[in-house]
Amino acid sequence: MTRRRQAFPALLERLRPECEAIVARYEQKHSALLPIMHVFQQHEGFVSPEAIGAVAKMLELTPAVVESTVSFYTLFFRKPVGKYVVQVCRGLACTINGAEDVMRMFREKIGVGHLETTADGLISYEEVECLAACDRATCGQVNLEYVYDLDEKQIDALLAAIRAGTYAAAPMAQTEKPERTWSVSQGASVANGGKSPGARGVQSPDNAGGIGDRSGVIMLDRIVDLGPSFYGATHERAVRESRDVVELVEEENAHANR
Amino acid sequence: MPIVKVLTDGIGEADLHLIDVYRKRGGYEQWKRALTAMKPADVLEYADKSGLRGRGGAGFPTGKKWSFLPSNGKPRYLVCNSDEAEPGTFKDRMLIENAPHLVLEGMLLGAYGIGSHHAFIYIRGEFKEGYRIFAQALDEARAAGFVGKNVLGSGYDLEVTVHRGAGAYICGEETALLNSLEGKRGEPRLKPPFPAVEGLYSMPTIMNNVETLAYLVPILARGWEWFAGAGTERSKGFKIVSVSGHVQKPGNYEIPLGTTVRELIEIAGGLRPGRALKAVQPGGGSSACIFEEQLDLPYDYESLAKAGTMLGSGAVVVFDDSTDFVKAAYNLIRFFAHESCGQCTPCREGGHWLERVLERFVEGRGIQGDLEMLHRISSSITGINLCPLGDSIEPFLKSVLVRFRDQFEARIMKEPA
Repeated sequence: MTRRRQAFPALLERLRPECEAIVARYEQKHSALLPIMHVFQQHEGFVSPEAIGAVAKMLELTPAVVESTVSFYTLFFRKPVGKYVVQVCRGLACTINGAEDVMRMFREKIGVGHLETTADGLISYEEVECLAACDRATCGQVNLEYVYDLDEKQIDALLAAIRAGTYAAAPMAQTEKPERTWSVSQGASVANGGKSPGARGVQSPDNAGGIGDRSGVIMLDRIVDLGPSFYGATHERAVRESRDVVELVEEENAHANR
Repeated sequence: MPIVKVLTDGIGEADLHLIDVYRKRGGYEQWKRALTAMKPADVLEYADKSGLRGRGGAGFPTGKKWSFLPSNGKPRYLVCNSDEAEPGTFKDRMLIENAPHLVLEGMLLGAYGIGSHHAFIYIRGEFKEGYRIFAQALDEARAAGFVGKNVLGSGYDLEVTVHRGAGAYICGEETALLNSLEGKRGEPRLKPPFPAVEGLYSMPTIMNNVETLAYLVPILARGWEWFAGAGTERSKGFKIVSVSGHVQKPGNYEIPLGTTVRELIEIAGGLRPGRALKAVQPGGGSSACIFEEQLDLPYDYESLAKAGTMLGSGAVVVFDDSTDFVKAAYNLIRFFAHESCGQCTPCREGGHWLERVLERFVEGRGIQGDLEMLHRISSSITGINLCPLGDSIEPFLKSVLVRFRDQFEARIMKEPA
């Protein structure tokens, strides 16, 4: 068991009053899901399976619903990320003002690609959609604080400050060492060559085939991995069924690879 | 130059995010006046007669929207949509960060106008700074007695909740926003029922854009006649336009509606020296381009609609002759494919396939018949989805495919001899 997992019950108790205050702002408690997830991510650096389970209990939802909801939103990291998340705008207004060069420089200078984290766990890098700062193209965010008018000089200064520990924005909490990527679906598609199996080599929707990537299965894995402690008796059937589906898909994959 | 300073008045000059500064400039006077001297119906009358139309994208008349609320005694909600993410748009972020009290006062007036006792503002997840600034402004306003129980002794209760999103373009669509605000995946709902009848928590709900609500403040202060006297016959009043792309002074400019596109480009400093204009996207990523021969079009809802495009959120992106329109089309299609919530097959699959085909073009590996396929797929997506995202995929692509067909054809591989 990781240190973070051990520390989770204490963290939960510490955050409970804040979570309850958030719930009180809404007529229906489910509305508190996103704001509470922001709080947990702020403290753990990502949305952990334990946080999913705890919030599900708090809001009287199933972990599956919480995981599914969290997975919809790009700002929730479902795996640990670097202490500094560098997000560069790839929107159209930035793109016609040199964003491709800026992104290439970032990738080279950080040494990782889109949705990846450096081996030392310091910097995560992502190319994101229009950040609503088109008048200051090319723009980006570091831990959601804006950086504007990016050029090579700016990029060098920004990365130097991050590496020296003097960057203006506070680092993200980091309670677990990040892997190469935090993206669940990205990890899956990297593993199978960057494209869904059925679509590889397929040229047109007229002759499409195959199923998507493994992200849905990984989502199930995560929920199942939470273990029975997070579930009341009513959830047991759902867990069992999830497990059945995972096994079925793995069997099918094994069959297809034979 | 037809620049005006209404909502933008004082931005960049005064610390409008501080309540004292805002109040010294007449801030919260309209809220006080509404509570003491006006009935909700009076506020609605101002909204209606001013001709104010939704500034978020659809351009729906505000007063009319409010009038759709059923009188069934159920609680009503006002939701301010600050999930600004339409590519090229950056006006709401400016207002939230620089004039949060103005936005809040507009929300209070709007909520009072529809008889709501709980207003929400949904702020885009990426706007961490905007969220912080707005939440602080709300605290100040609450401490001053402008928000909460029995506001200023009027007997009217009005609570305001700030809600932060978590990264999803689709949540700017009103029913997706409502789902997200309810703690669900941001997937649009089937309409009807419309939010005015069944919105947040299945209760009657009005959703207005940040800029729309903010305009209520000057409309109450200066009269609906003043607002309706500006702009054009059917596009009344003013609008903040975000101009970006290949102009020398990109930024937010507030203008009377009906200013020409050519004037707008001049206001934004014109093109860079030695460059020629190729296209203008007048209403955000979802709008079709207009071209140099159309620059004298008045920037208003009707003129742009007549030209086959739209005013949308008021984001004008200017493209000069350095633009690779194949890459530009790929960029926007990739965006829509990425942001599709996946509920409707045409949008989900169609966007994905357009992205895949355009990826080939960007790499110079277009295949004979691909241009026809792009037209076929994009036109078959349109008009058959739950929400407007699917319909937003075609316009830009189609307009540049037709206009810059040579750029696309040049990326098609020759048939092997």
